[in-house]
Amino acid sequence: MARPAHPHAMAASKPGRTRTAPPRMPPEFPMRGRYRAYTLFDATGLVYLLLGLLALRLAWALGDGEAAWSAAMAGFRNPLYLAFHALALVSVLFVGVRFFRLFPKAQPPKLGPLEPPPAPVILGGLYGAWIAVTLLLGAILAGGIF
Amino acid sequence: MKHLLLRLEPVVWLLFGQGILIGTILLTAWVLVVGLLVPLGWVPADALAYQRAHRLAANPIGRLVLLAIAALPLWKGAHHLRALAIDFGGAQRDTLVAPLLYGVAAVGSLLAIAAVLRI
Repeated sequence: MARPAHPHAMAASKPGRTRTAPPRMPPEFPMRGRYRAYTLFDATGLVYLLLGLLALRLAWALGDGEAAWSAAMAGFRNPLYLAFHALALVSVLFVGVRFFRLFPKAQPPKLGPLEPPPAPVILGGLYGAWIAVTLLLGAILAGGIF
Repeated sequence: MKHLLLRLEPVVWLLFGQGILIGTILLTAWVLVVGLLVPLGWVPADALAYQRAHRLAANPIGRLVLLAIAALPLWKGAHHLRALAIDFGGAQRDTLVAPLLYGVAAVGSLLAIAAVLRI
């Protein structure tokens, strides 16, 4: 059975004769030039992790009964939670726009006999799905439907 | 540990990718309504009163959506924080940082499954 390769499997068995400089971080890292968006994109990981944990807390409270659910929802009125969720909304929009922009560039040239759809079609589908799900789920959560 | 991380990489990448894609698509309305509009009183609190919230979350689709909202962002968060830790602190501590972050995501995901099953 095939085993995963060691991370340094491709390294030379002994140092070569060609001298190589040690790797260095680019001078723009972390917050200048193109690295700013790169670093911020990774930093949204903290926001997503906290969002997941808060959603987990709410789901758990829902199973604990009305008192636990009401207490958890009341906690969300705390200014710290409000500020976090405002930051989270900005983060989610930033991640969505940046990630969806990558999709057309990440397509393979061929999918079997088929070519991937043109970039505007892919982007239209992604943004259309995002907007539709946001409107539908938002309407459900806000009591507009169901 | 490096071998284990490499072996798990396809699974981690699948969950991480879905955390960005599905997580972002679902989280927009979730953050807006649950995190901002209801607490600010711009949407009546009755919309997420216990009886209604329980009814929405207790059906199979509601459970799946709630599971996705709770579990998938954990993987996006864990993977990007790992990348951030490597970029800022180097790869020397990755064998400690990666299991810790993925462990949080894995335990959180199992708790999310338990949470939606007990609703």
